[in-house]
Amino acid sequence: MQEEILQQGVDLMLFGMGTVFVFLTVLVIATTIMSGVVSRLFPDAVKPLPAAAAPPPKAGVDPKLQAIIKAAIEKHRSRHK
Amino acid sequence: MDNLIGLWQDSGLYLMAPGQLVMIVVGLLLLYLAINKNFEPLLLVPIGFGGILANIPGADLALSATEAAISSANPEVLSALAQAMGLEVWETAKDIKYAFEHLNAAEHGVIANLVADMGFNNGMLYNFYSVAIASGVAPLVIFMGVGAMTDFGPLLANPKTLFLGAAAQFGIFATVLGAVGMSYLGWMDFSVADAAAIGIIGGADGPTAIYVSSLLAPELLGAIAVAAYSYMALVPLIQPPIMRALTTAEERKIVMTQLRTVSRREKITFPVVVLILVALFLPSAAPLLGMFCFGNLMKECGVVDRLSDTAQHALINITTIFLGLSVGSKLAADKFLDPKTMGILALGIVAFGIGTAMGVLMAKLMNKFSKQQLNPLIGSAGVSAVPMAARVSNKLGLEANPHNFLLMHAMGPNVAGVIGSAVAAGVMISMVQGMGG
Repeated sequence: MQEEILQQGVDLMLFGMGTVFVFLTVLVIATTIMSGVVSRLFPDAVKPLPAAAAPPPKAGVDPKLQAIIKAAIEKHRSRHK
Repeated sequence: MDNLIGLWQDSGLYLMAPGQLVMIVVGLLLLYLAINKNFEPLLLVPIGFGGILANIPGADLALSATEAAISSANPEVLSALAQAMGLEVWETAKDIKYAFEHLNAAEHGVIANLVADMGFNNGMLYNFYSVAIASGVAPLVIFMGVGAMTDFGPLLANPKTLFLGAAAQFGIFATVLGAVGMSYLGWMDFSVADAAAIGIIGGADGPTAIYVSSLLAPELLGAIAVAAYSYMALVPLIQPPIMRALTTAEERKIVMTQLRTVSRREKITFPVVVLILVALFLPSAAPLLGMFCFGNLMKECGVVDRLSDTAQHALINITTIFLGLSVGSKLAADKFLDPKTMGILALGIVAFGIGTAMGVLMAKLMNKFSKQQLNPLIGSAGVSAVPMAARVSNKLGLEANPHNFLLMHAMGPNVAGVIGSAVAAGVMISMVQGMGG
């Protein structure tokens, strides 16, 4: 009886740990494949959004204002060594 | 005068057994830890209060109708019970209880009808326990809510971190071996089923621990749940020394590359992939992982926000209340005040320690084989205990290098740990039930 319970414990550990590792390894492989397939076959529909959102700030910065900011920064830096 | 004596004999003071008094103090201690020290208050407040309720003398809130009848110590009731069981010689209520535990299912039914006729009812907490935990409902509903709150983004961005979650589960199995070893040496009397239920404390996941012990070792459930939740609250104290001991200052400074953004479609597909793999390879983990994936799919698919919102908030809160009170009902003195409880508390902390260590060591091992370096500190997050363990990794990373934010990197192994402990739970349930012990 005593020997048996120890044996059962060892079995539980070997098989249990083995299963956890095998299952999660399969999951890593499946996830990697899934990510590859999804990003290749169904490229993100969200992409147009950042493209649309990006231009306005660029247009919003007025060259004159930019020059003023640059000058101000330079002045600040020269003052603080 | 007789009335006065009767009133006195019905009072809590007269009926109080020393064990019940001790357990009420334990309940108050849990409340103190929850309220004053902020130890997992969402669970320890209901558990502590339930524990006090379960030990109110004479109220029998945690007892079934039959147990209440036996503990009533009314000679007429006892002799009626003895007669129904065919017991010819008996001296105390203990003999009857012992005989009752050795009856078969049909005879149990007869006795249940008899005590119902005599006007005994199941206690309130006993009913909560049967509905919420014995049926397996509450832990699974909570798991669904946890799924609905989990973001798999960091894990999908770096799937290799699943290995860290797997390694940390070694704590579970090492503890199983420890518990079995204690029985072998004759220190404790744990069966294999008990050992499996104790080991799952190392999964650092409350609902999983309660689910497994409700199936494998219901009589140890109180101690196991209290150990699991207390140690989860102690993660910020238990983990850092182990993490520091196993890593060098250089390793702790490793800066990890920014995680890529994960598309919504990947996030929607992931729970379905997990579900298919569970269906193919591991049906025994289907209850836990099935509910978890369902909750996550509700969150990510974006078309059932109302359901996802309920699962994340209202439903999980309601379930937590009943789960806590039901766990409290298992803090009855005769079940909790047992040397086994000390063994469980000791093994539980070992389980946490080994899980943490294995996660860190696994990260170091992976660094040997891979160009993309991992900071070993995120390995400790593999024990689950979401999100506490990930915050601990982040904190230690910031100590080593104030510009190194590991939180998102640590969330990957953290949620991997949840999947890992659910897988471990499924394997253990099916193996132990197969062993017939």
